[in-house]
Amino acid sequence: MNTAGRDKGMQPLLEVENLVKTYSRRRLAGSGEGVRALDGVSFSIFRGTTLAIVGESGSGKSTLAFCLACLEKPTSGAIRFEDKDIVTLSEKDLRAIRRQMQLIFQDPASSFNPRWGVGEILIEPLALQGNLGRDEMRTRAHALLEQVGLSSSMEAKLASELSGGQRQRLAIARALMLEPKVLILDEALSALDCSVQAQIANLLVDLQSSCGMTYLFITHDLAMAAHLADEIAVMSKGRIVEHGAPNKILNQPQSVITRELLAAVPRLGFAGTRVAES
Amino acid sequence: MKGKRAISNWIVLLVALHAIVILGGFFAPYDPAEQDRKSPYLPPMRIHFVDAEGHFHERPFVYSLQLGEGSYDKYEENTARPLALRFFVQGARYRLLGFVPARLHLFGTGSERIYLLGSDSYGRDQLSRFLYGGQVSLFAGLLGAGITLLLGLCVGAIAGYYGGWRDDLLMRLAELFLALPWLYLLFALRAFLPLSVSPLQAFLLIIAVLGAVGWARPARLVRGVVLSAKERDFVRAARGFGATSGYLLRRHILPEASSVLMTQAAILVPQFVLAEMTLSFLGLGVPEPVPSWGNLLSSLQQYSVLVSYWWMYLPALVMVPYFLGYLGLGSRLQQHEEPYKIGK
Repeated sequence: MNTAGRDKGMQPLLEVENLVKTYSRRRLAGSGEGVRALDGVSFSIFRGTTLAIVGESGSGKSTLAFCLACLEKPTSGAIRFEDKDIVTLSEKDLRAIRRQMQLIFQDPASSFNPRWGVGEILIEPLALQGNLGRDEMRTRAHALLEQVGLSSSMEAKLASELSGGQRQRLAIARALMLEPKVLILDEALSALDCSVQAQIANLLVDLQSSCGMTYLFITHDLAMAAHLADEIAVMSKGRIVEHGAPNKILNQPQSVITRELLAAVPRLGFAGTRVAES
Repeated sequence: MKGKRAISNWIVLLVALHAIVILGGFFAPYDPAEQDRKSPYLPPMRIHFVDAEGHFHERPFVYSLQLGEGSYDKYEENTARPLALRFFVQGARYRLLGFVPARLHLFGTGSERIYLLGSDSYGRDQLSRFLYGGQVSLFAGLLGAGITLLLGLCVGAIAGYYGGWRDDLLMRLAELFLALPWLYLLFALRAFLPLSVSPLQAFLLIIAVLGAVGWARPARLVRGVVLSAKERDFVRAARGFGATSGYLLRRHILPEASSVLMTQAAILVPQFVLAEMTLSFLGLGVPEPVPSWGNLLSSLQQYSVLVSYWWMYLPALVMVPYFLGYLGLGSRLQQHEEPYKIGK
């Protein structure tokens, strides 16, 4: 993997500062206490690197993903993308920014319109930009299908006819159609079995080395995060509790949450004691 | 599989019924307004193949009817005067589908008028009136349902997609419309209008009222579908590609509502046909001499007709296969939609 840009004194591609997102509950009378999904999150990602956000369910990882993909508006805080604060942008300007940061969903099947064929699904992002002809879009779709390891004959199929791994590849191919600068992967590998996980993880690594892609990799799997990421941030209850290089996190975990997550990593031939029991 | 077969039988029936009504001019032997004052309330003539002497005839025929002896409303078959049925005969002028001039009719006799479904008080052929009346009633039902669904779709989409005060406002309005006693509303509306309106005006009034009254239920259903569809991942994904609201509604969200709309249509169309029949029966619908299924039944308001002339009920019976056909169509459409959902 590429070395973190931090050492080179570069400007971060994406900088998040004190991000807060609360969901308010609608009540019959008065405004109730909201749920604080994000509670002052700050981090930055450099071009061509991978940041893994690790946390248990309900720690605010997906909310963070939606905020970064500009699909949810944060309550307060700043998200600076190429030095532009995207929190304050209008809906019209946001549409242009969203193309640069593509989100890959946990369940790829649900992110495809079930009525559409693979070809149509792939072309949609480009068709929305409206500056390419149909033949050009199809050529690009074929190239990307090959790049993610799918055959271009698949475009006639329905997404429901693909296997889980194929769907996830299709989701990645679709996100790449717009040549985004950042890919946000929200538990993108969690639903896949181990061998397919490894295939997709290798695909991501290849893409990074060939296109200089920047990843925000959201997962609950600390082992996968350590394998892919240049830096790991551990989240709990809407806050980042620990942040550092994978080696440091794995070998000298500081917080209880990190230790619990570490204990949850299955290891062959290792009957580890669980933190909760000790 | 067996259930599916039974449903498609109803659909075949429905298509046949619509085709016959749409091509009513061809199937009807006479003009619906043509009167024969000498033969009021003739009962339906029976089609014979075997005559009074027991001889078999290849060409079906009917006997002309005459008043029974000493009776003033009981007709008997005059076996001395058979009227052979001829097929594909030239007869009264009509316009096929409303614009193609034609004279060809499926059947007729050379000379005397025949009444296969009887005649009404003016001696008009009930079969012809039934077929032409169906054109008015079915068209009113389809058009009314179309307007209703279009209104419901727009209101539901706006309320569900944009939410907030628009949602509150539109849904309270929908509840108000659901609570309105619309039949009395129509009485009141009719009272404001001149006593006699032209058939076209009356027709448009019915459609406008039906369309305006019924939108609330489909609007609420569409709102529910839109509300859940807009949170689906593929809608969010498309938003991530820079899609506008209009695109999301058109390509992703409203197609989700299509199965709801289809089933609503299958329920609303026969309901609206029934509503037209009710209004015309009460004299609030299409006025004479233009026939509709409702005003064909309005003569049943007279007690003497109600008890003496059973064939005047026949137009009401058609609603049974009509309703069943539409309900079958509705469930078939639902089955058709489901295979698209990705199985997990």
